[in-house]
Amino acid sequence: MNARRLIATTGIAALGIAALAGCGPAEQESDGVLTLWHYEGENSAMGIAWNRAIEIFEEETGATVAFEERSFEQIRQTASQVLNSDEAPDLLEYNKGNATAGLLASQGLLAPLDDAVAEYGWDETLASSLQTTARYDEDGVMGSGSWYGVPTYGEYVQFYYNAEMFDEYGVEVPTTLDELEDAMQAFVDEGITPLAEAAAEYPLGQLWYQLALTQADRQWVDDYQVYDNPVDFAGTEVTYATDTVADWVESGYISSDATGLAAEDAGTGFINGTYPMFFSGSWWYGRFLDEAQHDWSTFLFPETEMSPGSSGNLWVIPTTSGDPELAQEFIDITLRPEIQAIMGDNGGVPVAASPDDLTNDSSVELIENFNTLLDQDGLAFYPDWPTPTFYDELNAGLQGLLNGSLSPQQMNEQIGSDYEAGLPASAGSSTP
Amino acid sequence: MSATSLLVTGETGHRNRRRRTVGDWIVLAVIVITALVVVFPFLLILINAFKSPSDYATGGPLQLPTALHFDGIAAFWERVDFTGKLWNSLFISGVVAVLAVVVSVLNAYAIGIGRVRGRVPLILVFLLANMLPQEVLLYPLYTIFRTIGLYDNVWSVIITFVVIQSAFGTYLLASVFGTFPKEIIEAAALDGAGRWLTLWRVIVPVSRPTLGVLMVFFFIWTWNEFLIPLTFLISNANQTVPVAISVLQGDRLMDVTTTSASALLGLLPTLIFFLIFQRTLSRGITAGAVK
Amino acid sequence: MTLIESRADATRPAVAPPTGRRRGRGDSLVPFLSGRSYWWYLLPGFALLTLIILVPLVWNIYLSFTDYRGIIAPQWSGLDNWVTLFHDERFWLSFRNSVAMILAMVIAPTVIGLLVAAALFDVIGRKFGAKLAAFLRATYYLPQILPSVIAAIVIGWILRPENGALNTILQAVGLGQFASNWLGAPDTALVSLMVVLVWIQVGYPVVIFMAALERVDPELYEAAEIDGAGWLRRFAAITMPMIRPEMFVVALTCTIAALKVFGPVYALTGGGPNFATIVPSYYSYSQFFQNQQVGYGATIATALTVVIMLVSIVFVWAQNRAERKERER
Repeated sequence: MNARRLIATTGIAALGIAALAGCGPAEQESDGVLTLWHYEGENSAMGIAWNRAIEIFEEETGATVAFEERSFEQIRQTASQVLNSDEAPDLLEYNKGNATAGLLASQGLLAPLDDAVAEYGWDETLASSLQTTARYDEDGVMGSGSWYGVPTYGEYVQFYYNAEMFDEYGVEVPTTLDELEDAMQAFVDEGITPLAEAAAEYPLGQLWYQLALTQADRQWVDDYQVYDNPVDFAGTEVTYATDTVADWVESGYISSDATGLAAEDAGTGFINGTYPMFFSGSWWYGRFLDEAQHDWSTFLFPETEMSPGSSGNLWVIPTTSGDPELAQEFIDITLRPEIQAIMGDNGGVPVAASPDDLTNDSSVELIENFNTLLDQDGLAFYPDWPTPTFYDELNAGLQGLLNGSLSPQQMNEQIGSDYEAGLPASAGSSTP
Repeated sequence: MSATSLLVTGETGHRNRRRRTVGDWIVLAVIVITALVVVFPFLLILINAFKSPSDYATGGPLQLPTALHFDGIAAFWERVDFTGKLWNSLFISGVVAVLAVVVSVLNAYAIGIGRVRGRVPLILVFLLANMLPQEVLLYPLYTIFRTIGLYDNVWSVIITFVVIQSAFGTYLLASVFGTFPKEIIEAAALDGAGRWLTLWRVIVPVSRPTLGVLMVFFFIWTWNEFLIPLTFLISNANQTVPVAISVLQGDRLMDVTTTSASALLGLLPTLIFFLIFQRTLSRGITAGAVK
Repeated sequence: MTLIESRADATRPAVAPPTGRRRGRGDSLVPFLSGRSYWWYLLPGFALLTLIILVPLVWNIYLSFTDYRGIIAPQWSGLDNWVTLFHDERFWLSFRNSVAMILAMVIAPTVIGLLVAAALFDVIGRKFGAKLAAFLRATYYLPQILPSVIAAIVIGWILRPENGALNTILQAVGLGQFASNWLGAPDTALVSLMVVLVWIQVGYPVVIFMAALERVDPELYEAAEIDGAGWLRRFAAITMPMIRPEMFVVALTCTIAALKVFGPVYALTGGGPNFATIVPSYYSYSQFFQNQQVGYGATIATALTVVIMLVSIVFVWAQNRAERKERER
């Protein structure tokens, strides 16, 4: 076998296949079966509500649903490949944001839903700040352009606190930032680390972003999230956030051990009473209801209109879907008040239910906090959204800050250049 | 064989094979203590697989469970249809183990014993399969399999791993066959056995321990693979055990006790497989020619 | 013993082929047969290799010169990706970490594996019974059968800064001042990861080396012992020469694995804290699947492949030289 001939043949083969790679699959035939994928656990609020929606859908349309449970990781890694093949489902749950739904929409893998939105009136059902993540422009940036996805639940970040520990040490629920720091100091004086934190995963990043939001306005959020203007990483918002985190580590409010902890560790630390406070997402709510043996409650971050949060993941319909009408009908069922109420009763955050629809009192607080945020247009999305790799990069910067290998200024410079490097070309900067 | 250069007295009849010195006991102690350290994490899996979630949250991972709790295991089994996944994994890993050994033997026969021209470049070309980072394969192979209609079909994964594993097998066996005693092959040739027969009647039986090791490795390596099955096996009906285990790790929440239970279930089949094949690994060579 | 046959092997009595022709290069070990028709045996393996490996390899090199998001056809972008790569500090950092990976996945496991295999075979197998040796070998091999996603969870429990097993044990024996945030602090994260990799890897050389030793007649050890050869002498005179072909195999395959290491890093540290444990494979993966910058991911992967190929070529060449020397001795 001579090498030159070998290279020639493989080269030709590669080019031949590369040529084939350009053409995607054709639209599938309609078969009266709705193939549905999602990655919500069976016992989660969404899983329970959607199971009921499947029953209603089958009764009303006479069509059957072929449901396949997926893992988050699997969808994240293979969505673009699957949707580009004959194996695509008719309807699936997919992550919201520029790097996920935005990318697939801009590459033509998701069907635009504008007609369906008009027909079913989803733009009336959903609060306007929830629509941001449903719409993407031709570059895949959220907030404008056609509808490509429909959110059916919400999520946001708040404080969970251990009421028994607050009582025991005589700490009041804080309503201002100063009171918050006093409360944490009170625990430190007792030798307790007040905040459950994790810097190996998302929790500390979300706290950092919340601190920036206390100094920010809507315009800053738009600059940061949808690239209206360049973000100054030496500006007041970012420097305040980074300095405050550094301060809180210094004061012992956050343990520097958080660099080696994952979200799961912080969550179980709150459940078992190691930490009295945990600033994290509504997605923990149901689990704390199930597992925490102590009395706990929640409050929104004090002295700010905005908190991290957004619509939940989206229903999207692949371009190749054989039964887009059935898929739209199913989406509409998941937005009905009765299904939304089931979600709320099980610790989810419905987007089309009022607290009066609920039968379960323990979830009322969750929904009230969410509605408070909605009313003040306070959903500010998440810190890791602007670029596909910023999640890892922000965690890395915060880890450096916590273990002292980066000063606050160095961290801001590092994440600033990471942020810059990851911006899409349409944001007016060059990318690799 | 450099080993034969040692003087063998020939008087091997009346020797006490069990004369244990103090040194022997020290060696044993060191080896056993290290083995305990190695095995410690597995005890943790065992402890946590039978805990209830709240038990884990209050006591942490190190405490013994307050009560045996089988829900984690049962729930996991039900939820991911573990029986089906087990069969898929067994089928894929088993077929790969056998086919990859066959391909390795054929390649190594030509290189190690046939001594064809350009052996070093050949070895290196085959080793490419081992050298390429796996993430390189995902996009091109996706297109190739989609084109030939093998996307979402277990054979796509089987073919891929046969190639990847046989790269290692070819390299190892070429090296081992290179040391193969000439006398045996010559004897076979004088008996009139052709090349094909020599391979299957002489070389394969004599190399059985090494082939056994290869088969075990291939099976276990294939079993534990994650990225390639995740990418090419789309339907739930085709998925493997490790991919099923990853289903438990949701968007933001992970239930540690169910994960432990799944870890235990994911581990057991390979463990059983390994223990069964321990015997293959330990079977000495019977062909007297080496001695 | 070797992949390349030395030209004329003076030390070996050449078997005169019946035709009277001198044996040249490329002739098989088997008399009457030339090496030529052995090509047929390579056919199935080579056909598969072309489809699964060579085509994707060429493809990947092509992608490294394009801007490609994985869906719409790639756009040619010339050397852009390569220029970016050479100025990418994170890429160079990831290669520096590869050196640590080689220490952890090649050198340490090979040395430890050699000692363990020799002890199991020569001492425990002979003095305490083959069953015990087999059982202990299985124990050492256990970490190899653990999927890395699961290994990561368990190791996480052990190395956790708060109530982790290791810190708890250290405190219990009065070494509390050594307790630390193992995977979370930049000065210990890489070392901790290395220790975990040694734990994962060590079973592999143990099993391979013991399989090699199965070729040795235990009588040899007995005889050597009778002649008063101590453990070290036996190790040097019998064990080492016997294991040599496998040693090369283990060293090379582990080096390749170390350069490609992905699973444990992905599952244990995600390249953190602050990129202290990032490795090339993980970096290219994050470009491929998190960033969807397939062109740049392909560039990193191509660079990594080139490095691995060079290392492998040097290895195989050294292996041949060593074996040729061995012959000429």
